[in-house]
Amino acid sequence: MNARRVDIISIAVSLLTLAGMATGTVSAQSERVSIPAGSYHSLFPEVAGEKNRVEPFLMDAMPVDNASYQEFVTDRREWSKDQVSPLFTTSGYLKHWSGNKPADGEEKQPVRNISWYAASSYCEWAGGRLPDLDEWEYAAERLDIQSRESWDRFGSDVLGWLTSVDPNRMPDTGESGVVTIDGVHDMHKLILEWVNDFRPPLADGLSFDCGTAGRLQGEGSEYRYASVVRTITRMSFEPETTTGTLGFRCAYDVKNVGGGNSHD
Amino acid sequence: MAVLLSLLAGSELYGQSPESDNKQANTNENMEIHSHHHHNQSGMSVAEPLDDRSVYQLGREWTDHRGESIQLDQFLGNPVILVMFYGSCREVCPILIQDSWRLYREVDERVRESVSVVAVTFDTEKDTPDVLMEYAEKERLNLSNWYFVTSTPRAVRELATVLGVQYRKRSDGMYDHSNLVAVLDKQGVVAARIEGLGRPVEKAAGEIEQMVQREESR
Repeated sequence: MNARRVDIISIAVSLLTLAGMATGTVSAQSERVSIPAGSYHSLFPEVAGEKNRVEPFLMDAMPVDNASYQEFVTDRREWSKDQVSPLFTTSGYLKHWSGNKPADGEEKQPVRNISWYAASSYCEWAGGRLPDLDEWEYAAERLDIQSRESWDRFGSDVLGWLTSVDPNRMPDTGESGVVTIDGVHDMHKLILEWVNDFRPPLADGLSFDCGTAGRLQGEGSEYRYASVVRTITRMSFEPETTTGTLGFRCAYDVKNVGGGNSHD
Repeated sequence: MAVLLSLLAGSELYGQSPESDNKQANTNENMEIHSHHHHNQSGMSVAEPLDDRSVYQLGREWTDHRGESIQLDQFLGNPVILVMFYGSCREVCPILIQDSWRLYREVDERVRESVSVVAVTFDTEKDTPDVLMEYAEKERLNLSNWYFVTSTPRAVRELATVLGVQYRKRSDGMYDHSNLVAVLDKQGVVAARIEGLGRPVEKAAGEIEQMVQREESR
């Protein structure tokens, strides 16, 4: 009887150890979520007034965090702070880190101060790519919100966040409290994110000026307004830009599922 | 609109990484990236490290319309006219290719042979080397120092991003894209940009001539 109890306890202990190891070694970023095909009202419609189609893809459930980015930099020294080419970033690259690692306690925070080139290279290293603008925006609005009023309320929330986001008070990934119906976290109210085509080609007569927002806004809900502000903010970046409120997550083609650290 | 403008101003502000950004985090001035902006004015030597503004730092594998493997840094030491296009584009792209031709023709005959023209396709699916060869033949531009080039979607996206060329694929298989003919100097640094279609090419041609003559006068 006693022996049996010991067995059970030792099994329980080893299970706990395994669980501990699992959370210690498998970073949150490796969790990928399927986004089904669909269509949505892009700010850049292929045909005016019609929805753009988005093919199925996979996406990181959360933005890439500092700890994961550190693994990348350790593996790819050309992306360390002291070796990165000035063609690909600014002197603000990873400036919130202490040397070549994140500051203590910030491991789970989303990585930021990252250029487009750095984000794109990370995703390639992770076996994926940056999501396209349409993919990101489509995935981001797949929320369990039903009424027009609720959308408006959520939209004002997002707008409020977009205009007050504070790089000195960055929560951990997963802490935005916003999850899509597909299980994607933090697409709103945590950090701005790079997309592959962050500056899409503009149709004739649509230039990047203050009138653009009005023309882009279309149907005019508060959420739509927030997405216009988000999109124009992204369009204002240069690919080498680094800011304290700009991070990223990766997307993966459906056929490449399971890839990781692929080398070209 | 005033509201939006102020919102944008706000986003620009945090985009500029204000000093407060760094106040409570450890400042790592000693870890800052080494200062750059040195411009290599010395003569060309392939053994030298690439200029830190050189587009050729992108590397990657490319293939031309002859089916031959291309490395970007094989163009080191010569000026390059670089254009992005795609083969099934029937309206705008032929003009872009013609603009590249006009620029090439505008360069003094004596230095023209040291200029390479690289036309990179957006359409990495359809524009195989064979399709690109057909295109080059049809445009009568299958010349020894002209390269119609393809690669992976990622390599093309990176090159376009470095050049500031915007494009996206449409569901009908066509591409929306901005129009650029760029001149790279002998180090692969962007030296001139001709944006739009049918623009004057004389100034860019003059710059190419200077690049070549600078070496000859040494």
